[in-house]
Amino acid sequence: MGLDRRGFVKFVVGGVAGTLFTPVIWQGLDDASIWSQNWGWIPRVPKGEVKTKSALSKLCPSGCAVKVKVIEGKPFAAVGNAANPMSKGGVCPICAGGAQLLYSPARVKSPMKKVGEGKFEAIKWEDAEALLVEKLTPLKGQEGKIAAISGDETGSANEVLSALLSGLGNAGGFAVMPGEMYTATRGVKLMGGNGQPGFDIEGADLVLMIGADALDSWGTSVANLKAFAASHPTGGAATAQYIYAGPTLNNTASVCDKWLAVPPTATATFSLALAHALIEAGAVSSAADFAEYKALAAKAAAGFEAATGLKAEALKELAAKIKAAKAPLVVAGASFGQGAGALDFVAAASLNVLLGRVGQKGGMTVLGAAPKAIASAADRENAKDAASLLAQVATGKAAPAALLIYEANPAYALPQAAEMAKAMGNIAFKVSFSTYMDETAALADLILPAPHPYERYDDAMNPYGVAKATYLAGKPVLKQPVLDVKDPVDVLLAAAGKLGLSLGFETYADVIKAKAKALGADFDALAAGGIWNGEPKGGALSLGAGALAKAAPAAADEKAVALAPVTRLAYGSATLATPPANLLNVRDTELKGKDLFVQLNAATAKKLGVAEGNKVKLSAGGAEVKALVHVNEGVAANTAAILLGFGRSAWDEFTKGKGDNVYKILTVSDEAGTGLKVWAGSTVTVAKV
Amino acid sequence: MKTQFSVAKFDQKLQERWGEVMEEKKQCKGCGGALPFVIGFVAAVIAGWVLFPDLIYSKKTQPIRFSHKVHQEQGMECSSCHTFRDDGSYAGLPTNEKCMECHADVVGSDPDEAKYVEQYAKTGKEVPWLVYQYQPDNVIFSHKAHESFECKSCHPDMSKNDTPPVYYQNRLSGYSKQTMKMWQCERCHAENGVSNACHVCHK
Repeated sequence: MGLDRRGFVKFVVGGVAGTLFTPVIWQGLDDASIWSQNWGWIPRVPKGEVKTKSALSKLCPSGCAVKVKVIEGKPFAAVGNAANPMSKGGVCPICAGGAQLLYSPARVKSPMKKVGEGKFEAIKWEDAEALLVEKLTPLKGQEGKIAAISGDETGSANEVLSALLSGLGNAGGFAVMPGEMYTATRGVKLMGGNGQPGFDIEGADLVLMIGADALDSWGTSVANLKAFAASHPTGGAATAQYIYAGPTLNNTASVCDKWLAVPPTATATFSLALAHALIEAGAVSSAADFAEYKALAAKAAAGFEAATGLKAEALKELAAKIKAAKAPLVVAGASFGQGAGALDFVAAASLNVLLGRVGQKGGMTVLGAAPKAIASAADRENAKDAASLLAQVATGKAAPAALLIYEANPAYALPQAAEMAKAMGNIAFKVSFSTYMDETAALADLILPAPHPYERYDDAMNPYGVAKATYLAGKPVLKQPVLDVKDPVDVLLAAAGKLGLSLGFETYADVIKAKAKALGADFDALAAGGIWNGEPKGGALSLGAGALAKAAPAAADEKAVALAPVTRLAYGSATLATPPANLLNVRDTELKGKDLFVQLNAATAKKLGVAEGNKVKLSAGGAEVKALVHVNEGVAANTAAILLGFGRSAWDEFTKGKGDNVYKILTVSDEAGTGLKVWAGSTVTVAKV
Repeated sequence: MKTQFSVAKFDQKLQERWGEVMEEKKQCKGCGGALPFVIGFVAAVIAGWVLFPDLIYSKKTQPIRFSHKVHQEQGMECSSCHTFRDDGSYAGLPTNEKCMECHADVVGSDPDEAKYVEQYAKTGKEVPWLVYQYQPDNVIFSHKAHESFECKSCHPDMSKNDTPPVYYQNRLSGYSKQTMKMWQCERCHAENGVSNACHVCHK
């Protein structure tokens, strides 16, 4: 008996039927489904004991004291540090993603040398450090040939950078990215004071934020939010009033007790008109310039309605609330954390002087200069601003041959960004000390990868906004960095040694420990999430009338509208692109596909002849940004609000190419009377595409 | 050149094929009828139940022949080594730190104890124990929440075990054969009146 074709078919059919009565198919399917959950590219947290280590996470501008969760030494999450009296266990939306950013694909993995346009090759650290010394050696002692830009507002690294430049004969070459601290400190000087202003938000019973987005991106926002939360208990009566006067119904305005829509071009007018209303309501000051100030305030009040689009009645109501408060505080700042002139600051801060709130609990303070670890370092407030430096480079007034860029992204985050990036091209040798492959690193000739905050020692002296002198410090969470990185300060100190210059320290850790010692603080306690505080100071401040009198009135341009760049800390900062996880928070009315939305209120949209969904271009200073229109009543009159922080050309696949860079259309002008570069009151023309 | 279709020719071919089929059918009656089907069926059942389990799992042995029996005879309990951490999370297998409380040096005559001391205790390297019941990462299982049950309600009773059982690793999924399946969790939850909602175990 043979097995013919028909018999074979029967055998196979029988085999298949028999298989159905075995576990082969069913278990195979079950195992395959489990296998499909175990792709090799899915990140896995090792199993083991979860330990927490304290860290100072300077991913955000003010720095967060965090607890990093680690398993087998590998960080996998970050939470707030309840032991820190400032953040009280809170954490900002950038630092909350610190562990993910440690493993970001945008990190610079090793030293890189430029070998062609947009092309880099990985080199060894010894070669990279030798190249740095080789390029700096011939420039030593030549004034104006070496410059540095720092994007770190609070670290002692600035002392090392400025001392290095000073030692190499280039004391005037140190510049900082122009944050709020920079202009506010100059504002205090115009008011006869000396130091960085502080604001005791926690102690105030009425907080009026003029411009300052204090519950999202301004100052020590986590501490500010904690103060807000404490004064607004769930289910209970609020113990303090929070009022926001700014161009958009942003995250701060949306939770405040009141929002007053003030265009960014009218900040100073609003402040002075409020001063007038307060004076009308009986406020007086013993300051010597009160009479002059009173006249200026009256003049501003006359133009209040035209400049702001608000009714004078709103101002009277506000003045009455302030008069009724026991501890009112006015917080002054730009709505997007930079670019405001010193005069905008003076106009708002002078309200604290008028109300007698300087040096009081819940009032405005002035923080004196902190002791330095390196004596030859320049005072922070005497540094140049990076926008001025690069403007001079563009016009040939400054001609550095080498530029050291520390944790800064001037090619992206300065006004008229395209021109700034072009100006950088005039500098022969650019070194970027950066953790991430940002737009500036992409233009550099040498990239020296900096550690992530969990891999380094770092510190923060007086993060902007604190009411009293404050110092935080942190040490590495990891024993070994994830990538081939070195602390920039260690590299600079080693380079200084090779250039025949001794700054007295070999490592950044030593500098920070010396700083802590100079303050009388315990470094170990700081590294565990502790904090050092000095005593708050007041000081006699004038009303700044002399400076305010020089302020030139804004030229009216019927065709242009005020530009209000909108910042949300969750979407990144001047030094950090949107963390990939936070991209999920971007609303459909802020970014659609690759297009940003420009937000206009209905009256402004009508005036400009545009409607919901129209594609428009915003032009200023020879640059333009394309966007879609979204009509939103949460925007002040004659104002175009648009998100800042998008339009990245570097970083990673998640952030690159989304939206446009609004910094391009922020136009720089010189502030009358102070000579400062300002761009918070930029205007744009809006036209349909 | 196109071929002309002819109904007559097609019909003739159909008749011829039908004849062939009928002829094959006659011949097949003499070669087993349903027998090939039965043979195929039985062979598949035997292969599925006997050969398949051996093929789908690879066999592994523990790096150290650890005797639960010996330790139990010393008066130790499960919780002596399998502890909860201070935060309530379950430590699972003991680390060198725990083992070395007794075995920093060789104390007995078992060659595997000497192997442990030499290769792990003295080098500081943790023993790569094979865990019989690791759950996938998407399962959040809390031992603390199940503390009122005896260990052997879910785990095999190891107290009499002198040689660790063979570890069967599924070649496809990568998990141990003894990994508890979801239906087992669900049944116990249902029997004890505990919710079987997704979020109870999957976060």
